Amino acid sequence: MKDILSKTIDVAQKFGAEYAEIRVQKLFRTMLTLKEEQVEAAKQGIENGAALRVLVNGAWGFASVGTLDIETLTKNVTDACKMAKAASSKLKKPIRLVETETREDKVSMTPKKDPAKIPIEDKINTTSTMSNTILNYDKRIKSCTIDYLDLTGTTYFMNNEGTYIEQDKLYVWSRLLATAMEADVFTFSREEIGSTAGYEVFDVETPEIVSERTAKRAVEQLKAKQAKGGTFPAVLGPNVVGVFVHEAFGHLAEADLTLSGSVLLNNLGRKIASEIVTFYDDGLIEGAIGSFKYDDEGVPTEKTALVKNGVVVGLMHNRETAQKFNAKPTGNARAENFRFEPIIRMRNTFIQPKDHSFEELIEDVKFGYYLKSFRGGQANLDGTFQVGVQEAYEIVKGEVREPVRNASISGNTLGTLLKVDAVGKDFELWPGRCGKGQAAFVCDGGSHIRVKEVLVGGSA
Amino acid sequence: MVVLKQEEMLGIGEKAVNLAIKRGAEEAEAFVYQGLTTDVIIRQGQIARSSRIVDRGLGIRAIVNKAIGFSYTNMLDSQAAIEETILKASNFAKASKPYKDWFGLPTQKTFSSVKGTYDDRIVELDSEDLVNSAFTMLESAEKTDERVSPIEGGAEASYLCKAIVNSNGIEGFDHGTIIECGLGTIAKEGNEVTPICFEFNIERKYDIDPEWVGKEAARLAVSALNAKRAETKNINVVFTQFALQQLLYYTLINAVKADYVQRGQSTFKDKIGKRVASQIVTIYDDGLLNSGIRTWKFDGEGIPQQKTPIIEKGILHNFIYDNYTAKKVGKASSGNASRAGYISTPNVEATNFHITPGNKSPEELIDELNESLLVYYLQGAHSSNPASGEFSVVATPAWKIEKGEIAHPIKGTMLAGNVFQALTNISELANNERKIGQLVAPWVLVKNVKAIGK
Repeated sequence: MKDILSKTIDVAQKFGAEYAEIRVQKLFRTMLTLKEEQVEAAKQGIENGAALRVLVNGAWGFASVGTLDIETLTKNVTDACKMAKAASSKLKKPIRLVETETREDKVSMTPKKDPAKIPIEDKINTTSTMSNTILNYDKRIKSCTIDYLDLTGTTYFMNNEGTYIEQDKLYVWSRLLATAMEADVFTFSREEIGSTAGYEVFDVETPEIVSERTAKRAVEQLKAKQAKGGTFPAVLGPNVVGVFVHEAFGHLAEADLTLSGSVLLNNLGRKIASEIVTFYDDGLIEGAIGSFKYDDEGVPTEKTALVKNGVVVGLMHNRETAQKFNAKPTGNARAENFRFEPIIRMRNTFIQPKDHSFEELIEDVKFGYYLKSFRGGQANLDGTFQVGVQEAYEIVKGEVREPVRNASISGNTLGTLLKVDAVGKDFELWPGRCGKGQAAFVCDGGSHIRVKEVLVGGSA
Repeated sequence: MVVLKQEEMLGIGEKAVNLAIKRGAEEAEAFVYQGLTTDVIIRQGQIARSSRIVDRGLGIRAIVNKAIGFSYTNMLDSQAAIEETILKASNFAKASKPYKDWFGLPTQKTFSSVKGTYDDRIVELDSEDLVNSAFTMLESAEKTDERVSPIEGGAEASYLCKAIVNSNGIEGFDHGTIIECGLGTIAKEGNEVTPICFEFNIERKYDIDPEWVGKEAARLAVSALNAKRAETKNINVVFTQFALQQLLYYTLINAVKADYVQRGQSTFKDKIGKRVASQIVTIYDDGLLNSGIRTWKFDGEGIPQQKTPIIEKGILHNFIYDNYTAKKVGKASSGNASRAGYISTPNVEATNFHITPGNKSPEELIDELNESLLVYYLQGAHSSNPASGEFSVVATPAWKIEKGEIAHPIKGTMLAGNVFQALTNISELANNERKIGQLVAPWVLVKNVKAIGK
């Protein structure tokens, strides 16, 4: 493998590339979808491919192919150089990369239970247990969909600077969806499980535990009322805090989006949140689904501080943005697979816990909402965010009371972060997937927080 | 790049099906896919990258004892890899659980004829042509107004081919082209930054207008400056196609899919023949729409695509089906099996979800409105409750309409309600239809939507 990679890099340099990299992947995938008790299809796939990326006259050329022979790679890397030249013809500012240490390394995974070695029958049993548990939880449960995915394989990375890394990949992921119905009320509930450790993730988050959590929420939401629309105090659970940190703040701190004009650009080094707010994006948490050792530019991952005590202290970088900001690359360059170029992605993003117990967080709230579990979230560069919530409760006179459904919160990130007036002492991380033109596994979380006021979108 | 020819793709499919049957599958289906995409990317206001992605592979469905196994590979040059893929599909079927109601793969029917789905000029263009389109877009945006910064976007051309072969005699090949260009811009003034304002063109023929895209994206961004907060009240809302697509994708479009209906996840379950939308609403799922983005001769299972009436004058007429969901209830598939290239099994999906336009121009529509909102995009539509249709989203960018004029942009406004309720409150459809994703639609006026502001 190393020989083919190195020959391809040589060709790129011959055609004028100031930087060249090749990333080869050999991937194996197993997928299952169950609709109710029915296994839709047991699916598996093998894919091999190469991603070739070159910098010529300061512009990128990129080619992706599924064939790994030297002729195909030579032809494609030559084409990538030509394409880069074409793109460079209209360039205003040539792209350069920050210097990094070169290294050679081999990263092996040591799962207790390697998903590649677990027979398909076991995976069908695990997911069938999930669907049976959900369907038998309550007669008002109408449907459930279980998705399962495991991905294993190896990535080979080489660039013209002398870095060569072989790195194993391992992901185990599952998503459970349940719907319930009573009279004309439909409810919907979702849970995800994911890990880079191995199939042993199901020993902790057992099929029964996760399924019950999913089903219980769908059923309890049946008796929930609509949220009131307006501005209210809110306590956000770690699951909602996670997606809030990820969507409302995290994307703005991805340096490519910061450069694109996100509201953070004028706020680097400034206080944007109350003093109790500290955010990290951390690629080193063992087993978390957003963790890895080297990113897809061969840069080691790290724990990156984004906000400390309310002040913006860092951004997430690749080698290109690090050069522009005169910063260190942070190991955030990730590509979904060989069909994509690496771009800046989050890893495991969270708010650092502080000192409040849950009771202390809610005791002073006269009327507000406890937002426990999210359904989805989105943000814009101007800092407008929206987080949809699948499980929420009213807080009345310091107590968690009746469930509320289909609530969502919105506001501007900067204003909202200044209104965070207490942070809990608990800590949870939740796996999920993030879309930014390509998919990436990430974790989000942290502790409970209280926000003095936030806009709640409800139809009551 | 070496492109697989029609005969080669069909040949790979045929061989695979024969081998699967020989290896013990009772039925087998091969889907061979090839996609060549060239693109140019704009980042931070400049053309930063050009790329080409060649993706091709084979996906096999094998059926053993009414249970389905699926396997795929992109290693089409390796006979060993193909054989292993076929063997895996059969083995996975044997390990899986049988369907109670599996009535076989589809059988051969005459394919539909389609228009405007292929253009030689797109296959032949190179990255320099796309660089020029992207540059035109950038220049056009920048010269519109100095407060505008182009942020992200690009131009992309694709040539896609698919071949399907199954053991019931289906054998089909189709190919098509798609070209698109798009640009997102923001405008800045003082401390104010607008949300990203995005415009784009997408066509099957080489018929895009990058200059218009750049100009329009810039015009939107400038007009989003000086946003004011809106009040909380029930108000008439004009949804543009962007907002409509976001809102309907997770709700209405799912509600008409047969698998959602059969699994009790659709509020339309018992509503065939009943009123589900206001009388002016007529919707077709049109898999044969001239130049439609999702127009193909046949669907992901080799069934001819067709034009299916979904809602006519507000009355629900049909759901959309693939082979399995149709046979399960004794119907014929409507040609709505969709696949994500070679790596997925078929799923029920809309083709071109076509809301029939009305007669009024958008200007005439606005002219007649007093206090209303014009909503371009929504944030958070994917967090709608897919089963009930309840939504709670941010309207951004959006504008206030007063006395027949667009008065000013608004910020921090949420919209909440129920999509299915909103369908019955549609009171006007403009005549400006366009294609966005699966949706082909005009601007739509919905009465009495709850807006939550300050």
